[in-house]
Amino acid sequence: MPDAERAALEPPDAARPAAARGSHGLIALIAGVLLVSLFFGFVFSRSNPGQPERGAAPAFEVETFAGETLRLADLRGQVVVLNFWASWCGPCRVEAPVLQAIHERWRERGVTVLGLAYTDIDRHSLAFIEEFGLSYPNAPDRGNRVSDRYNIQGVPETFVIDQRGDIAHFFYAAVNETALETVLAGLLPGAP
Amino acid sequence: MRVLVLALLLPLLTSPVTAQEVSDDEVNAVARKLYCPVCEYVPLDDCETPACRQWRAEIRFQLDVGNSPQAIIDDFVARYGQRVVGTPTDPTLRALALLTPWALALGALLLGAGRIRRWHRERTAPHPPAPASTLVGDDVRARIEADLRARR
Repeated sequence: MPDAERAALEPPDAARPAAARGSHGLIALIAGVLLVSLFFGFVFSRSNPGQPERGAAPAFEVETFAGETLRLADLRGQVVVLNFWASWCGPCRVEAPVLQAIHERWRERGVTVLGLAYTDIDRHSLAFIEEFGLSYPNAPDRGNRVSDRYNIQGVPETFVIDQRGDIAHFFYAAVNETALETVLAGLLPGAP
Repeated sequence: MRVLVLALLLPLLTSPVTAQEVSDDEVNAVARKLYCPVCEYVPLDDCETPACRQWRAEIRFQLDVGNSPQAIIDDFVARYGQRVVGTPTDPTLRALALLTPWALALGALLLGAGRIRRWHRERTAPHPPAPASTLVGDDVRARIEADLRARR
């Protein structure tokens, strides 16, 4: 049949089945969902930068296992060694005596070691503190609020915060005593 | 004989009445609703990290002291945040996770309502008589009539 005849026999656009037109809406909906997902995926990938390694340390307030309220802002003027740990974490057992030694050696020179128990069970945390004789303040991170602000990926992780409240150094794994002391000496050059 | 029976019964009579132990299934039923604290989206019942083992032990402990599964989940959320039940901590992802199902449902509803309305309109609207000339051209009509004449 010639094209002209076929065209004459085909119904006009207005008479096309509704299903054909409806499928355009479905395709538009799926395309819209995909575009929105891509947009949010892009935004999320840009907003997940990892642990802060410089700049102002995120502020926080915690209640220690001893019942004392500690605010980072109140420690301004001191060097803060902020250590995230857990009783179930093997490397944390290695670094706990190191942090205790640093606390004893540097406390009088203006260094505060602060431990935050990350996703830990309180009674296990307390047993850990007792086992290693930790005398520096330790607190549970209730609701993971602090670890979320510092974007903790696991434990142990340690931040050294300088006297102005800026992050001076970040230790991704267990702290090394010599490395930590070098950082502290750099921040407190006049310390005896 | 009497002494033998007494000897057999003695352990039963002297043993303290112990509460029924919490089974692994009971622990896993709660753990299934929680997620590993240190891995990405791994359910707690299917995770063998030290942290997961400690959390499952805590669930067992809490079930043992009589806490309900929901109370245990609420306690974990209070202590460790919404991430333990799989809610993303990133605000963008959390908003996306909460809004997407509603947005999809709304889109599907609008699409469905539009199709139903169109279908209803097409069924109820009077069909205009199709002019013959719009469907069959004059030359085709002439050819058909010529064929019919030839057959008579």
